[in-house]
Amino acid sequence: MQGGIMTRGIIVKAVAIVSPLLLSVAAQAQDHMHDHAPAEPAKSAELECRAQTPPTGELAPWTSPITFAAGSTAQNAGGLAIGQAANVTLKPTPEVRYALRPEKPGGSVSFGGLIALTVAEAGTYRVALSSGAWIDLVQGGKAVTSTAHGHGPACSGVRKMVDFPLNPGRYVLQLGANGAPQMTVLVVRLP
Amino acid sequence: MRLALLAPLAGLALAGATPVWPPDLGAPAVPLDNPTTVAKAELGRRLFYDADLSRDGTMSCATCHEQHRAFADGNRTHPGVTGEPGRRNVQGLANVAWFTRLTHADPALASLENQVAVPVFGTHPVEMGMSGREAELATRLGRDDCYRAQFRRAFPEAQGRIDRGTIAKALASFERRLVSFGSAYDHDRLSDEARAGRALFMRDCAGCHAGPLFTDLAYHRLAESDPADPGLAEKSGHAEDRGKFRTPSLRNVALTGPYWHDGSAPTLAAALDRHDGRRYDGDEKASLLAFLDALTDPEFVARKDLALPMTACGKPL
Repeated sequence: MQGGIMTRGIIVKAVAIVSPLLLSVAAQAQDHMHDHAPAEPAKSAELECRAQTPPTGELAPWTSPITFAAGSTAQNAGGLAIGQAANVTLKPTPEVRYALRPEKPGGSVSFGGLIALTVAEAGTYRVALSSGAWIDLVQGGKAVTSTAHGHGPACSGVRKMVDFPLNPGRYVLQLGANGAPQMTVLVVRLP
Repeated sequence: MRLALLAPLAGLALAGATPVWPPDLGAPAVPLDNPTTVAKAELGRRLFYDADLSRDGTMSCATCHEQHRAFADGNRTHPGVTGEPGRRNVQGLANVAWFTRLTHADPALASLENQVAVPVFGTHPVEMGMSGREAELATRLGRDDCYRAQFRRAFPEAQGRIDRGTIAKALASFERRLVSFGSAYDHDRLSDEARAGRALFMRDCAGCHAGPLFTDLAYHRLAESDPADPGLAEKSGHAEDRGKFRTPSLRNVALTGPYWHDGSAPTLAAALDRHDGRRYDGDEKASLLAFLDALTDPEFVARKDLALPMTACGKPL
């Protein structure tokens, strides 16, 4: 990951490497790192990130999102290609019928939705989000257990990342308990 | 240690989940204006897991108080709905029905009913962010037919009124069900190492981590006061209270890390080391940690009647 921060006219290149070591290994999905998705980021966070540092590497597609509408059921969930970021318009939570009740469901004033994913090659896949929304990857009515989770690269806009071991097949990405009707999502296969 | 199966109190006893507690502890006190009933406790359980109790619908009580962590949280602190950092470590909720002092350092918080206001309406820091939004809370819950029915069943004397007061009473009623005395220690099933640890514990630790609750519920200072968090002095106004915090219960302590009032001790071993005058060699520390591990109640963290409800009013949630 490379980025530049303008400081008094001097561009300082910051190089960081997105590595699995940055993530915490978790036996339970999103365990302690799940937090809410604040509708308004804290002022201190805004001050710390006046300059955005676009992620690179496997997260490079983060900077080229398409417009995407989340589905309200597993049946009407649209497909999002692996490696394609999306600015997702969510549904009001009462309109969503989850395939599996989220472990941390959002209230009626929150937002959520469903996205279909097709995995062609077995491997570890990273779900990157712009918020702290709760996510589940569901297949056959069961949630896939995550293997790692953590915060995204500093000032990149990636708030949360969760890794899952996936085999080829169709999955439903459940997004829940988001405080805003929009969020950015990217699913990538890790090298 | 023997446990007595006491006559279950209404509301604390649910089908297949009669709680037990040590005979020398006695039943927990219940406020006269909030007698526990099954209807009230079940409503409180649903509310405990409902993120509509937060400003943007993203945080419920269970967001921070996770059952598999004995109703604590695995973070140092937990930010609130606005992103404001938490000030203090989230505590586990095992046996709060018996706690006469709640939270880390506020002697005025002596009832579960009053404590609800801290995370839901508090502003120092903002947690669930509902300050000034009490009416909105009632509106949100009142839109749900099932909630209206549940509040009528729980509060017939109030005609099912949905307000800050009845919400707090229901939550408190659920929290009184969080009873945990089923550890290996309670069943006297300790390993030799844990028995050795118990001896050390009784000698060095039980003065503050006292009795079946493993807390004296008193305030103590174990380190220099941090200017950012004066502890008890913030409420008492007395300089001598700076840096004092309430003794935490050690029930399920192996599940409730990180530790210390600010979560700054990442492990139990680190927390042990912070107790002045307590220095143990490797074997002693291992035995103490084995004893503390034996305070884990696996049934408590798996009880279905304390978990996220999947139905309400006979319908899937």
